[in-house]
Amino acid sequence: MKALTGNNLADGEAVFLGHAGDWVPRFADAELFDDEDAALAAEARAKTQITIVVDPYLIDVIPSEHGFAPLSYRERVRALGPTNKPEHGKKTEGGEAIDALLHAHGAARSKGRVELIRRK
Amino acid sequence: MYQYDAIDKEMLADRVAEFREQCERRLSGELTEDQFKRLRLMNGLYLQLHAYMLRIAIPYGALNSKQLRKLAFIVGAYDKGYGHFTTRTNLQLHWIKLRDAPDILAHLAEVGMHAIQTSGNDIRNITADPHAGANADEVDDPRIWAEAIRQWSTFHPEFSFLPRKFKIAVTASPADRAATKVYDIGLRLHRNDAGELGFEVLVGGGLGRTPYLGPVIRQHLPARHLLSYLQAILRVYNRHGRRDNIWKARIKVLVAGLGAEGFAREVEAEWESADAAQVDLPDLELARIRAAFTPRNFERLPAASSAFEAAKAGDPAFARFVRHNVKPHKIPGYAIVDISLKKPGETPGDCSGEQMELLADLAERYSQDELRVHYEQNLILPHVKLDDVPALWKALGTLDLDTPNRGLVTDIIACPGLDYCTLANARAIPIAQQIAKRFADPALAEKVGELGIKISGCINACGHHHVGAIGILGVDKKGEEFYQLTLGGSAEADASLGQVLGPAVPANKVADAVDSMVEVYLRERKDGERFLDTFRRTGLAPFKEAVYASAH
Repeated sequence: MKALTGNNLADGEAVFLGHAGDWVPRFADAELFDDEDAALAAEARAKTQITIVVDPYLIDVIPSEHGFAPLSYRERVRALGPTNKPEHGKKTEGGEAIDALLHAHGAARSKGRVELIRRK
Repeated sequence: MYQYDAIDKEMLADRVAEFREQCERRLSGELTEDQFKRLRLMNGLYLQLHAYMLRIAIPYGALNSKQLRKLAFIVGAYDKGYGHFTTRTNLQLHWIKLRDAPDILAHLAEVGMHAIQTSGNDIRNITADPHAGANADEVDDPRIWAEAIRQWSTFHPEFSFLPRKFKIAVTASPADRAATKVYDIGLRLHRNDAGELGFEVLVGGGLGRTPYLGPVIRQHLPARHLLSYLQAILRVYNRHGRRDNIWKARIKVLVAGLGAEGFAREVEAEWESADAAQVDLPDLELARIRAAFTPRNFERLPAASSAFEAAKAGDPAFARFVRHNVKPHKIPGYAIVDISLKKPGETPGDCSGEQMELLADLAERYSQDELRVHYEQNLILPHVKLDDVPALWKALGTLDLDTPNRGLVTDIIACPGLDYCTLANARAIPIAQQIAKRFADPALAEKVGELGIKISGCINACGHHHVGAIGILGVDKKGEEFYQLTLGGSAEADASLGQVLGPAVPANKVADAVDSMVEVYLRERKDGERFLDTFRRTGLAPFKEAVYASAH
């Protein structure tokens, strides 16, 4: 399962492609793709939205205790905010959707980082 | 302190206006991200995990209270109320919005600050000994020379597209507080036997994937030829440095390839072929810069202060602060006061807007309006009367700025790591927090003594792990955070690169591993030995045995 993520152009916030084709700040509101082709098509479309989102890429998603979570730890940090400051970032919202991210155990290299380094 | 003149101010104003227009063109879609990225990076604006990050240059780590108040205003108005001081003596703001960036740069320009050349393959912010102008053993004020290099290198057209980034550090004291051996160029000002001022020139030091200590390519360069010699080094690098492979593009790889002597021959030949007089600073200009750093009117004071001594005798907590955070000053009756940004449990190097405001007030009241940034992510008030230290200490304590741990096990360097940085493999800050909490009792930290722990979240080594007495490097093992430990590094006068202890350990075992190594040290140490000394005597074996017995 995949989700599509990137950063808002205007403020840099980590965002996810939502169900209505909009970009949403909460991972819990992200559109999850079962179909690889649909995911790739969404990524290709997102790359044309240059005034909205920067460097969109697909991430792997896994089931967690109360929902779904990004497989890669890096992507969970993006979806939650920095772990050194409990008062900053998306995790401050709390609730089940945040718990799902906090309790996820998956591990994999982040495609976001790999691509960033490849482009450097 | 050096003050910008009318030309400097005009250049900055132009640059802000230019960047404002570039941002508007990006937001409207006229520029793509690929086109815009290099423009924003030229203004120190990165895109990180949660937001844009602005890296603000602090030349040779020197700030006045007006600048600090401006930074406090900016972090309150445009960020989340704090900034992060880095190992390059810059300040990073981690929660910046693109649409605010031009306004922030305009605010910075009002106080003679900017973020130019804090990114890109150019000559970056120049660093220097943070004790400059206050330290008894310096042969000259290194800020004068760092400022000359700053002016020469800013917007230098020939060196704006080097093979890779380029960092220069200057010291004028035998004790190395500027990590000059791990810089692209390290400059060590000294006097030769004839009493003439000159630079020992080190080239090709660096950390990252292939760490090197910089070899000396010239023992004594007459100080007046500094700029022409730097030009020669950079020309050789520009000509022969590799542009085809980012991992081999730094000057250290070129110097290692040619050998220090071979590289030096190239530089000398280039230097002799150029017209040095066209580049070297005219005496008049040097005198103008020097005047900006002329010592203020220090008062004639007795070497000892009865108020200071009485406070030390009467309050063990103050005495502990003095032992670790107060250093001798070249003027009798004055002291250099270290301010630790390493309260155990907090993020190393972070400073809140409220703390910046307080420090601006204290710098103004007690330290001739000067504050310095140390590359170990701490701050310094360089010119404090001994009589004033007790009152200063009390004031620092009101905002947790009185942690008495400079140089101790809890004074940990940590890069932002995976909590913020797009390049990181693993987190660095929480590891620092875990270790510092183990040694939070000041008496325990003091018992352990001098021990530099340095943590990087990836091989780029912003956290200087190769030169930590204990170095910790975050690595990615199939997406999980693991940490490789190195021992025996130092970035000071006795510089050395750490040796790898063994297999990386998981995140939840790092603090235990440090505990075990400290236990070995306490068991093995002989009179007066620092951790580093004991390690250098015993080697890896006892530490390795202890860590892998307890970690697995």
